[in-house]
Amino acid sequence: MDAFFHTFFDWSEIWGILPTLLTEGMRNTLLISLGAVVFGVVVGLVLAMMLLSNTWILKLPARIYVDVFRGLPAILTISLVGLGFPAAHIRPFGTSPFGYAILAVGLISAAYSAEIFRAGIQSVNDGQMQAGRSLGMTYMQTMAKIIVPQGIRNVLPAFTNQFIVDIKASALVYLLGLSLGERELYFIAYQQQAVSYNSSALVASGLCYLMMTVPLTYVVNVWDKRLRDGKPQAKLQRVKRARIVEAAK
Amino acid sequence: MSATTVKTTPKVVDGGIQLKDIRKSFGALEVLKGVSLDIAPQEVVCIIGPSGSGKSTLLKCINLLQPPSSGSIRVNGVDLTAAKVDINGARSTVGMVFQHFNLFPHLTILGNVMVGLRTVKKISKAKAQSVAMMQLERLGVDDLSDKRPADCSGGQQQRVAIARALAMDPKVMLFDEVTSSLDPELVKGVLNAMKGLADSGITMVVVTHEIAFAREVADRVVFMDDGQIVEVGPARDMLAAPKTERLREFLSQVL
Repeated sequence: MDAFFHTFFDWSEIWGILPTLLTEGMRNTLLISLGAVVFGVVVGLVLAMMLLSNTWILKLPARIYVDVFRGLPAILTISLVGLGFPAAHIRPFGTSPFGYAILAVGLISAAYSAEIFRAGIQSVNDGQMQAGRSLGMTYMQTMAKIIVPQGIRNVLPAFTNQFIVDIKASALVYLLGLSLGERELYFIAYQQQAVSYNSSALVASGLCYLMMTVPLTYVVNVWDKRLRDGKPQAKLQRVKRARIVEAAK
Repeated sequence: MSATTVKTTPKVVDGGIQLKDIRKSFGALEVLKGVSLDIAPQEVVCIIGPSGSGKSTLLKCINLLQPPSSGSIRVNGVDLTAAKVDINGARSTVGMVFQHFNLFPHLTILGNVMVGLRTVKKISKAKAQSVAMMQLERLGVDDLSDKRPADCSGGQQQRVAIARALAMDPKVMLFDEVTSSLDPELVKGVLNAMKGLADSGITMVVVTHEIAFAREVADRVVFMDDGQIVEVGPARDMLAAPKTERLREFLSQVL
């Protein structure tokens, strides 16, 4: 039992690594996952619009993209981008692996975000598009001003969930060999573990992940609840309206 | 036919509507089986008929929300079925009000009325605001301008929807069973607003189940059944003395 506690909860190990984890690790994990999520939102939205279009020229490439990046193991995509691109002299981010790490996680995130946004946009009532078009707005104007804002609202919980997934996926970029100052949470703990042959640093990094992901899961729950129940006063109206619709039948 | 039209912004010449042999199919199901109808400028026409008779589909053909499978549509002198017509410009001269209001839930009442003015007409925020407030006032719902649609009653929402359509300064207004999903006590306010509109000289096509409203407000009534026009005539005469057995039967069921 002593060996167990010593291996996982060696306080001197934990206290020793915690400052590095909180400053360098947490910052870089957040940078990678935030960068990926921003990339994912922008590319995911474009992909969602393509998935919903009526022409196969737009639909097919988006479908292939989504299927490929959702179908591959994250670690394989990260290797292909982070190790493959620089080796093939595709070097938009120079030789530092950091930019490739963001791109790789972002490419994966975009595939999942595309499906989330597509579902959100499709959940908006047809009547909204008709109302927009009847005012003389174009398809794109109606999408931008009417449909997408509502669609995104409908999928905020799913989307926040995707951010949590991106935070966790960012740990996989350790395999690109980040240099000092660029390391994210997991890589710092992994290196420390290799040096000390003690897993307490991993436990400490785990706590850091939980500090980010657990509050986010609660944000998801609150958002989800609000979407389902609405604000108290709006809820009353909805009940009333439902009664009206019922009465009209 | 005085069809002096400019490509980008169709010049509204009359407010008349000419439908010629409109057919519409959804897959194998033919919903409209050759409908022709001329509506004069400033005329108020009510379309009645049993559910599934194609009245709503016909209405949505007029602004191409449901493009017809064949036939031609002229609105305000513009041929909407021509290949190169500016459909968005044409649509902004035709207002539409829906059965389920279809207000934009993420915008305020004022925002609902302003969004078309801002995006389609590209007028300044201040100007759009004053136009929108004017229309809300006209419909008696200006005190709701800061609220969201979900915080308004059905009757209020429907009047906002009318204001939203009117703000675009249409020459033609289409109404698709606009009182069907309202509480009985809220119907009157909406119908009164529509009566006021009819008096203002705007062309109106109204799909409705309110026979009393049709008798009182409409110039002509169109009775549709099974995708075709069965009977057309002056409102009072036709509803008092239907010529066809089918209309007589329909009226005996709804009155």
